[in-house]
Amino acid sequence: MKALLNILIAIAGIILAGSLPLLIAGWLVGEWRWQVYFESIRTTLEGLWPIGDIAFFNFRAGQEMALFPNVFAYIAYSLEILFLALIVAVAVSVALTVMTMLLQEKVRERVKMALYFLESIPDLLIIMLAQLLVIAFFKQTGILVSKIAVAGDDRIYWLPVLCLAILPTIQLYRLSMLTFQEEERQMYVELARALGFSKVYIVLVHMFRNAIISVFFQSKKTMWFMLSNLFVLELMFNLPGIMLFLSGNMHPMGFLVTIFSFFLPMFLLYAFGEWFFVSRRNQKAVG
Amino acid sequence: MWKQPYFVIGFSILAFFLAGSFVYEWIWGNVPRQIHYVMENGRAVEGAPLSPSWQYPLGTDQYGYDLLGKLMLGAKYTILAALAVAASRMLIAVPAGYLLGTYLDKHRKWLSSFADSMHYIPLTLFAAYVLTPVLWMPEEGFSTTLWERIAIQVVMMALLTVPIVSILIANEAALLRDKEYILAAKTLGAGRFRIIRKHLYPQMREKIAVLYGQQVMETFIVLAHLGLLNLFLGGTKVSYDPLFGDPPMSISYEWAGLFGSTFRYLQGAPWLPLMPVLFIGLAIFSVSLMMEGYLRSKNPDIKRTRQTAQDEPVVDWNRQQLREKMVRLKNEDFPK
Repeated sequence: MKALLNILIAIAGIILAGSLPLLIAGWLVGEWRWQVYFESIRTTLEGLWPIGDIAFFNFRAGQEMALFPNVFAYIAYSLEILFLALIVAVAVSVALTVMTMLLQEKVRERVKMALYFLESIPDLLIIMLAQLLVIAFFKQTGILVSKIAVAGDDRIYWLPVLCLAILPTIQLYRLSMLTFQEEERQMYVELARALGFSKVYIVLVHMFRNAIISVFFQSKKTMWFMLSNLFVLELMFNLPGIMLFLSGNMHPMGFLVTIFSFFLPMFLLYAFGEWFFVSRRNQKAVG
Repeated sequence: MWKQPYFVIGFSILAFFLAGSFVYEWIWGNVPRQIHYVMENGRAVEGAPLSPSWQYPLGTDQYGYDLLGKLMLGAKYTILAALAVAASRMLIAVPAGYLLGTYLDKHRKWLSSFADSMHYIPLTLFAAYVLTPVLWMPEEGFSTTLWERIAIQVVMMALLTVPIVSILIANEAALLRDKEYILAAKTLGAGRFRIIRKHLYPQMREKIAVLYGQQVMETFIVLAHLGLLNLFLGGTKVSYDPLFGDPPMSISYEWAGLFGSTFRYLQGAPWLPLMPVLFIGLAIFSVSLMMEGYLRSKNPDIKRTRQTAQDEPVVDWNRQQLREKMVRLKNEDFPK
């Protein structure tokens, strides 16, 4: 019930944001265009109804095309890249964290410091360096490891996923380091150590279960950050994804369709995750 | 704060760019050096864009302008804009957050799920979407002046994440508000405003400073992303000439524009897009250095006390004693 209310409020927020440029265009000439703003919201919502009739300008085909079901190919490609990168980032960062936790305190602090400064690398730099490296490697050896841009109906996967995953990995790595270290100060870890369990066992079994929950909740910010990166990535690799689709359709309807296409899966993911972790925690408290 | 090497290094990098930018303009004027080709033994060996050399440390752009000069001239726009965006964001979000956390606590729940919906809108996309009518030159030319546009852009970009930041502060304030000393202050008759001013604000000063630093870094990134979309700080000059249309150009030499307008040269002249992004990265890096230095100056002893406790011989001796006693007890319980 609460989740339903949340989703309604979130949808309202997105719809209100969709027509903002009209208000701003009004401010530029010094007037409040509330009427135009609400009118635009109304027409957008009305336009949504016969859902099969929505037509958008397709920049690849160069003409108006029906939105559904064409748009699903774009959405699927974007989501594939996004979630593949997320999975890679989570898996790598958690594995690295567990390994780092086994090291000495001093080394850990160094690693954390290095990660903190690595976070300041702009994503654009990573993408450009990756493209340059691929080309340089190709020139040297004649092997093309991956295409650096999409032409036609191509799909490229691993290079964009890698570029998208690097920065979130660094962020999540540092974040989960902090969480695990916080967890290490808890009493139960000390007890486990006193009982003679090995360090590996404590980290992997006891601390892992508790720390992963707060890593999950904090990963929302990382997701947000990844969405911006995905946008840039699609532009720079010319990936036929939903974000690139939007940049050809900068009007309230296009905005709504784009935002909803990844709002729904992400919201489901987080709602499910919250339910999963919370119910598990409650079960334990009872049992 | 000024004794922390991290802070000083970060500060001097930023200060160098800012001061250098103004000094450069003061000495050499606001047009960088220009060269069309390099002559060697009476023959032209290289035409613009020149690759980096001793004379032109970062090379030149496609029209032969010195890239280092452009970057130095643009530094002030980019850095000041990022600082201003973050500052105005905090100026709005901090009071709003405190209001939400104290006076309007009833509404905090639904407002926070409202702000939560912002987490599904990519910031860059939102910024581009909202700023396009402001920054993209219409066919009949801009109706606003350069400084007006910069001001509008700064305010817009500040407003974009105000909901998220103020909810963050409100939640933090609500957590603190349930502490016992605040209850005590309330019992003694302190009003809400006094509690904010005397208890909540001093408690959260460091958090707010760190938050400010994060906002500055985020703004740099968003500015760079906007550059990629040809939305430059202070507006994009668009040529509507159907035959000889120039590519969209930045009006000032700010870094995002330098990157955005040369991104297509990545393979041919990689220094053109790489250098501005590298400079942006350097600016972000110096902000994170300053943040780290600031935090270390505020709570320097946490680590030290923990280490000394470990090195203390008495503690060690106590542990030894305890261990021996336990071993002895165990042996008594289970005689071999």
